[in-house]
Amino acid sequence: MRIPDALWGVRCSWLRYFDVFRKSLAYYLVTTFSEPILYLLGFGLGVGSLVGSLKVDGVDVSYRSYVFAGIIGQTLLFQGFYEASYGGFVRMYYQKIFTAMAATPITLSEVLWGELLWDSSKAALAAEVVALIGVFTGDFPPRAPLVLLPLAFFAALLFAGMGLAVAARARTIDEISYPQYLLVFPMFLFCGVFYPVESLPRALQWLAWALPLTSINSLVRTLTLGFAFQPWAIASLAVWLVLLVGYSRRAMIARLVK
Amino acid sequence: MTASAPLRVSHLTKRYRLPAGGEFEAVSDVSFEVRAGECFGLLGPNGAGKTTVIHCLTGLYPVTAGEVTLGGIDVHRDPKGARRLLGLCAQDDTLDSDFRVLDQLVRYATFFRIPVEEGLPRARALLERFGLAERADDQVESLSGGLKRRLQVARALISAPKVLVLDEPTTGLDPEMRRALWEILMQERAAGAAILLCTHYMDEAERLCDRVGIIARGRILDLDSPVNLIARHIGAQEVEEEVRPGIVWRRAPNLEDVYLKLAGTRLHAERQAA
Repeated sequence: MRIPDALWGVRCSWLRYFDVFRKSLAYYLVTTFSEPILYLLGFGLGVGSLVGSLKVDGVDVSYRSYVFAGIIGQTLLFQGFYEASYGGFVRMYYQKIFTAMAATPITLSEVLWGELLWDSSKAALAAEVVALIGVFTGDFPPRAPLVLLPLAFFAALLFAGMGLAVAARARTIDEISYPQYLLVFPMFLFCGVFYPVESLPRALQWLAWALPLTSINSLVRTLTLGFAFQPWAIASLAVWLVLLVGYSRRAMIARLVK
Repeated sequence: MTASAPLRVSHLTKRYRLPAGGEFEAVSDVSFEVRAGECFGLLGPNGAGKTTVIHCLTGLYPVTAGEVTLGGIDVHRDPKGARRLLGLCAQDDTLDSDFRVLDQLVRYATFFRIPVEEGLPRARALLERFGLAERADDQVESLSGGLKRRLQVARALISAPKVLVLDEPTTGLDPEMRRALWEILMQERAAGAAILLCTHYMDEAERLCDRVGIIARGRILDLDSPVNLIARHIGAQEVEEEVRPGIVWRRAPNLEDVYLKLAGTRLHAERQAA
C-alpha cells in the first residue's frame, strides 16, 4: 500500500532521526537515560531515605515514589526541550538539514513535524524507562508504563514545541540559555517535581499552575500513584500543546522562508 | 519560451519584507528556461539575486509574481511533484554530518521514495564516479572541504534528476577535481539533464554553458550563448589588460569581459558617475 505523500514526508523525517539514533546507540543510551536515572538515584533513593513519607491529596506515599513520578515529568521537560532547542538550532542553523530536506519531495512543514515527533518520541521513551524502573522498585503499579504512554508522548510534544519555538527565535545558540534559565529551570524547581506545589506561597502556586509542568506532574501522579484527578490539568496540557506546537512550526517556517 | 523545457522561470519577481519595514525587491521580472540536454549559466556578483532565484525554483520561497515550472509542474502549486525531478547542490554545505558518506546518500534517496535496496547500488556507483568510494564508511565531518563539495554534488544526482541545479559547485575544488566534475556534468548534460549552473568562475561558464544569463541587482541584463554575448558586448578585437604596472597583455575577449562590463559594480559606479 502506498503511504500518502504528506505522511511519507513526516515518516522520512522521523526515520532520519531514528537512523541517527540507531547508528549512535551507545552515545544516545548514555546521554538519554543517564540523567533521569541519576536524578532517581540522587533524589529518590538519597533524599527519599531522609524524608520518609508524605500525605498528598489524601494519599499516603513514600517520598521516593513521589519523586520518581516527578522525575518522569522532569525527564519529559529536559529531554523534549533540549533536543528540540539546542538540537533543533544545530540542525537548522549549522547543519542546514531542514532546508536541505525541504529541497526534496518532503515539505518544510513535514520536516518540522518529523523533528517534533522524533523529539517527543525520544523524550517519551526516556520517561518510559523511568516508569519501568519505578515498577521494578515497587514504586509504581505494573500497568504504569502502559497507561503513561499517551500522556508521556503529548507532554513531550509540548516541551519539544517549546524547544523548537526557542530555536526558531534564537539569533545565536547562546540565546537559548535565556529560556533555559528563566523558564525551564524554574519549572524544574517549582512545578511539583520534588515537593507539592501547595507548599509554595499562594502567589507562587498560581504561577506554578500556569506553567505546563505542574499539570503534567499532576497527571503523572494520578496515573502512577492514584492521586486525585485534576480536570484543569488536561485542559492546561491541551492549551499549551496546541499553542506551542502551532507557534513553533510557524516561527521556524517564518525564519527559514522569506 | 519552450513549453516542454524541463525548467522554466517566467517573469519571476521576489520581494522581501524588511525587518525595519518596507520591502526589498531581490529579483525583478526574471525569465529564462533550461532545455533538456542544456547547461545554462546564471552569472552575477554576490547579492545579485542568484540564490533567491534558486530558493524560488525549489519552492522554498513563495514568489511575489511569476511562475516556476519543473517538467511542466508548477513548483509552488505541486512542490512535491515538481521536486521529484530536481537535484540541488546548494551553495552552503548542507550535508547531514550525522551520517557516514554512503549512508548519507542512501538516506537522502529515501526522500525521493527510492527504497534502500535501490538506493544502495546507486549510492555506491556515485561514490565510485566521484572518487569517494574509499571514503564510503567515513563520517562526513572527516572529509576535506573539496571532498564534501564532491559529495554534495553526488547527492544531488542520487535521484537521477531531470533538472540539476548547482550553486557554486566547484568552490574549493582543486583544478584536477574541478575538471573531473566538469566531465561528470557534461555526461549528465549528454544524458539529457537540464543543468542550471551558478558560478563565479567565468572560464567554467564559458566552457560548460550553452547559454548564459548575466544577472545583477535582481535583473537579467542579457542572455545568450557565451560566443554571442562576447561578440555583442566586446567584439572580436583583442583586449588589452594591464596585469602589473607597466606590463600589458593582449588577449582574445572572453566572458569575464562581458560580465565585468554588464555586472561589474566598479564599472557600473564609474558609468553612473560619468
